[in-house]
Amino acid sequence: MELFLKRLICLCAMVFAGDAIGEEVDFVRDVRPIFKEHCYDCHGAEKQKSGLRLDVKSAALKGGEYHRPNIAPGKAADSNLIRFVRGEVEDMQMPPKGEALSAEEISILSEWIDKGAVWPDGVDAVELDDPRDHWSFKPMKRFDPPDVSTPGWARNEIDRFILHRVKEEGLTPSTEASRIDWLRRVYFDLIGLPPSPEKVQDFLTNDSGNAYAEVVDELLTSPRYGERWAQHWLDVVRYADTHGFEVNTPRPNAWPYRDYVIEAFNDDLPYDRFIFEQLAGDTVDRDAATGFLVTAAALLPGQIGKDDASKRLARQDELGETVTNVGEAFLGLSVGCAKCHDHKFDPMSAQDYYSLQAFFAGVDYGERLVVDEEAEKEAKVLREQLAPLKATLIGMVPSVGAGAERPSVRASVNVDRFSPIGTDAVRFTILSTNKLEPCIDELEIFTTDGVNVALHSQGAKTTFSGSKESANRHQEAFINDGRYGNSRSWMSNETGAGWVEVSFPDKRTIESVVWGRDREGKFRDRLALSYKIEVRDENGDWVPVADESDRAKHDPNDKSTEILTNAENLPEAIRAEARRSLKRKNDLVEQLKSYPDGGRMVFAGKFREPDSTRWLRRGDPEQPQEEVPPAVPAFLEVKDFSLDTGASDRDRRKVLAQWLSRPEHPLTARVMVNRIWLWHFGRGLVDTPNDFGNSGVPPTHPALLDWLATEFVRSGWSVKHMHRLIVLSSTYRQSSLVRKDAQEVDADVQLLWRFPSRRIEAEAIRDSMLLVSGRLNFEAGGPGFDLFEKRGGLSGFPPIEKFDTKGLRRMIYAHKIRMEREAVFGAFDCPDAGQSAPRRSRSTTPLQALNLFNSQFTLDESVALAKRIESEVGGDVEGQVDLAWRLLFSRNPESEESVEAVDIVREHGLVTLCRALYNTSEFLYMP
Amino acid sequence: MSHGAEHLSGEGRRLLNRRGFLSQSGTALGSIALADLLAGDGLLGASGKGPIRPVIDPSNPYAPRRPHYPAKAKNVLVIFCAGAVSQLETWDYKPELIKQDGKPLKGGPAVTFQGPAGNLARPQYAFQQRGQTGKWVSDMIPHLAELTDDLAFVHSLTSETNTHGPAENFLSTGFVQDGFPSMGAWLSYALGSENSDLPAFVSILDPRGVPQASVNNWGPGFLPAEFQGTTFSASQPIRHLKRPDAISGPQDRAARSFLQRMNARHLERNPADGKLAARIASYELAARMQLSVPEIGDLSSEPEHIVKMYGADDTKNQIKADYAKNCILARRLIEKGVRFVQLFNGAYASGGKLNWDGHQKLKEQYDVHAEILDQSTAALIRDLKQRGMLEDTLVVFCTEFGRMPMFQKGAQGRDHNPDGFTCWLTGAGVKPGVSHGVTDELGRKAVQDIHPLYDFNATILHLLGLDHERLSYFHNGLERRLTNVEGHVIRELLV
Repeated sequence: MELFLKRLICLCAMVFAGDAIGEEVDFVRDVRPIFKEHCYDCHGAEKQKSGLRLDVKSAALKGGEYHRPNIAPGKAADSNLIRFVRGEVEDMQMPPKGEALSAEEISILSEWIDKGAVWPDGVDAVELDDPRDHWSFKPMKRFDPPDVSTPGWARNEIDRFILHRVKEEGLTPSTEASRIDWLRRVYFDLIGLPPSPEKVQDFLTNDSGNAYAEVVDELLTSPRYGERWAQHWLDVVRYADTHGFEVNTPRPNAWPYRDYVIEAFNDDLPYDRFIFEQLAGDTVDRDAATGFLVTAAALLPGQIGKDDASKRLARQDELGETVTNVGEAFLGLSVGCAKCHDHKFDPMSAQDYYSLQAFFAGVDYGERLVVDEEAEKEAKVLREQLAPLKATLIGMVPSVGAGAERPSVRASVNVDRFSPIGTDAVRFTILSTNKLEPCIDELEIFTTDGVNVALHSQGAKTTFSGSKESANRHQEAFINDGRYGNSRSWMSNETGAGWVEVSFPDKRTIESVVWGRDREGKFRDRLALSYKIEVRDENGDWVPVADESDRAKHDPNDKSTEILTNAENLPEAIRAEARRSLKRKNDLVEQLKSYPDGGRMVFAGKFREPDSTRWLRRGDPEQPQEEVPPAVPAFLEVKDFSLDTGASDRDRRKVLAQWLSRPEHPLTARVMVNRIWLWHFGRGLVDTPNDFGNSGVPPTHPALLDWLATEFVRSGWSVKHMHRLIVLSSTYRQSSLVRKDAQEVDADVQLLWRFPSRRIEAEAIRDSMLLVSGRLNFEAGGPGFDLFEKRGGLSGFPPIEKFDTKGLRRMIYAHKIRMEREAVFGAFDCPDAGQSAPRRSRSTTPLQALNLFNSQFTLDESVALAKRIESEVGGDVEGQVDLAWRLLFSRNPESEESVEAVDIVREHGLVTLCRALYNTSEFLYMP
Repeated sequence: MSHGAEHLSGEGRRLLNRRGFLSQSGTALGSIALADLLAGDGLLGASGKGPIRPVIDPSNPYAPRRPHYPAKAKNVLVIFCAGAVSQLETWDYKPELIKQDGKPLKGGPAVTFQGPAGNLARPQYAFQQRGQTGKWVSDMIPHLAELTDDLAFVHSLTSETNTHGPAENFLSTGFVQDGFPSMGAWLSYALGSENSDLPAFVSILDPRGVPQASVNNWGPGFLPAEFQGTTFSASQPIRHLKRPDAISGPQDRAARSFLQRMNARHLERNPADGKLAARIASYELAARMQLSVPEIGDLSSEPEHIVKMYGADDTKNQIKADYAKNCILARRLIEKGVRFVQLFNGAYASGGKLNWDGHQKLKEQYDVHAEILDQSTAALIRDLKQRGMLEDTLVVFCTEFGRMPMFQKGAQGRDHNPDGFTCWLTGAGVKPGVSHGVTDELGRKAVQDIHPLYDFNATILHLLGLDHERLSYFHNGLERRLTNVEGHVIRELLV
């Protein structure tokens, strides 16, 4: 019946059309029935293939994703709709299946378009919401905070907005939290650590009206603050110290960006500046900041296919991650969706997406040498400290002819020390190897003053028996370039033999030769097992000074890499010095790795002339379409922010940064104040912090959000100003106790009728355990400490069980392995740096319980805590229990607790108690 | 945990907005009322089309949850061959390739993933017809070949990448990027667990090491951490399962009971806080796991004929024996109701030494790998069958992509080929003896019934009673799914 009606209508339409010669084609009467008959199955309300919708005027006239405009008013012949129904374009016959349009139908459509495609308003069955008509795309408005009738409760504007909504729902706010609860809350919140018993005491006895503000000031000026708050930002941008994907090898110089973020928070760097520097910091001498552009995982060259299509895909993937970072972090928009098709919810077309991508067309993933005087000075200081330490250590190695057996030849490093002798040349001859042609990564010759005169930079010249060279790995020049490792080594061209001669510009008094196959400890083949070292005397004769004959037998499994192998066997008098020197030397060597000649390497992107950017059909690099210029999304205001396709890389990034950091930008300030709110309260006013678009959740308190955003801009984009407003508000100072009446109305505490208590994060747990055990190492900045035995490669990441001092730093200073969660604390919802984590989930799992109860880390810190307590209060068990409670919970034990705890300590020891206390909810929750 | 609007789709939220729900009443309505409201609009429930997000009870996140519609399978065993098993040496018989051995591939790529392509190379093993179906299967895997009649093959799968790490991500998470939830995490999230003493999702690693995409294969991505896979194997226990050696039994018990009292008192002081109750429950489950996991990992109760059947008694090939023990462990876990067991065969990139990545010396290396894989895996499937467990267990045999019909230039092995490769299913709800999809006569590309891996994953979810288009999690403003915005169930594989 329905079908019959359809046909009837259609027939009528044709009859009318046929009859009405000279009469205008009418959309409703003549055109729409044709669309309905042939097109709406795929291009109507249900489905919109290729993004084309023909039942709504605005959508139809805009056209589909790939062929817009499908309807070009006045030009039927140029309209894709006509060309497709006529079958003029190969593979694009419309409709693709079923009966084609009749000649009459086509002529009606053509005439309608030629006459201007008049489509009257108000005739469509539905009207589409305009996705541009969305709250977050409109200007911010500063509303006055509502008047509230509970005077005295509100301390600032925030409270008036919050109280107004609480009362609107018929609720009341909660009573004020105890002083201790607020103090613990604000400590965990601002610095991620609990207050010391002394600080608790100070605060409780501070009667001044300013006591709360004084605490906040102290915390905000503490360097611990940046270490806590930078983590939030690093979660958003998914910072990690490895490249990700299967190889997941280290990005050893990513950390300057992490340190930059910490410093930015500590300095209260204005947020507009923070944005600018992360996009274009290289233009204002803040190079590390641009690490932001390249925080995501990226394939290394070896992981990308050798075919061109694979290379294009990898490049697109990299750029995609950069655009995602900008979209999510600053704009709070899921722009990535528009990579393959027009955004389903937001007014962002695929072309808009690629225009945004074009801002980064000159950015490559990689590290660049940042030459700054600071780096040079720092490196020089380190090198100057290193030289005498090495000399000291070399001086402790047994020398030739001293009677003692010398250590065996090792692949890593060997010292041949002999009586000082004057000479102008040294020859090192290899007589046998364990395998293949010998290889030496560096030959060092030290004078009695501890100067390495073999260095090319000292004027030394080298000659060789013969060499097997390969670019960037084995070259003659590498034997005395001051750099270690297989990739900076010399290789002989003869199996089991070869020699190198080093001559000095003039005569020097030398006393040791230091050499190795691979000081980085990765390679142990090609090692000279039998060798001789000779020096040239005044007559030109070669005089032997050392060989392997007085060394211990070679052990092929010896993996040691220290210069000094016998530190523990040295006479007691110098043993301590040896240990100290070793440790200090190793620290310096580690630090120096980041300072290549003249500066430091920073993984902060490499910049070059931009590629041209074309928009890609379906996001497929093999289907490039027209070129697009760098441009900000058209639906947000674009005046003065357009560039042409020839714009330089720097200009592109600068312009984007300037556009994002405009005070009146509708998204920038709102997105950031929402993050700040979220990081304080555990949820944002907008519950989708990375999506302020049409598919995000609208704000619970729109007026408050705008007030905060405008206040943020007004304060000069000061994050610390926002902290003060929030943590000193009555809203924040409420008790966290659950009240049944309010819980029934608002279980999620969206209205903030109480403070939403929550478990502290992985980093805060680890740091806090170390703080109370007295072992937290506050050393700030620099390369990360290892959480795993190995720094990468494919064979998995065996975790370190026992940490040395370096490993007891705050967890933000760990070398963060992408995707691989830390073995104990990772289970506490630590983000994996794969996708952006604007808000941490807070799960409760049996693995967390097992980790925190049974790990070596917990045991070690329990032992340390027990030791600390014993050393502070002695053997008095009640006193021990009291101190434990004050350290962990900022309070004294209740009598019942004390009795039980004392029993445990007496029967099972203080360590047993400490282990249990570390696992308590009270220790792990922000009250 | 919240039952507010953030659990809804964009569509659902817009609906609520229209009703002025958020502005008028905050979250006054409970989740049940909300669900009813939406069901009425067809946004939830079996008749609708909207996303379905399971409601997780925070104090019992592993509670069993109902599928979207009656499921054929309750459990899944995934046999994951890391490194990309060649379809041409196993299941995809190409007589034409034998004929063209040594000839160049006309119109073929000059350069593939690792570099210049060489000439076509015949399958490195002989093929025979098997069982009732008479399907040709390779002699490389004689035990598995005997099961041919029970298997449902897809020969025409494609991947979006030809790099191992992203490809394993794609197979396990539906995305090539790092950071998306694995299939096992999705299933634990959707269905919870049938066993309250064991994790819902266990990943058993190959004795040779971790697979290339490592933790991504069993990670939770942005799903709550509850749903991540727990890794252990017959030779590698769960980390931190046992108390530290330095702590005695009595000390351990004292600490535990004192801790529970402390936490109970803290809960009393903060009544009605569900998260605090959940913490107490989590320590109780941990304690139960400390008993149940060693028990399940103790294979000494297995009779000798079973041990023999799996090859776990092999004294000459330790890796094979260890893998066989993993196979027995897999069966024991499924017997106990573990929802998702992921059994790895093959480890990381190693020039093909430790996994199926046969670039250089394919035959030589596959001889070694097949010896480890074949008998034990076949025994596992037989064992599941003889115990009647295939009635409600789905078995998936998969690999991240296939290999090229040519050898690489100057080598005796094949390069990566994401354009047409084979995986198979068997067990609950699967039609036995099916071969679906076809690659061209040389096995270079899928040419008929082409299925991106999305379709394979959609089919797996379907067999578990889950609509892959509706099972979702709202993250960063998007309804995320295992199959992204793609995927069609491959009906031809279903009973």
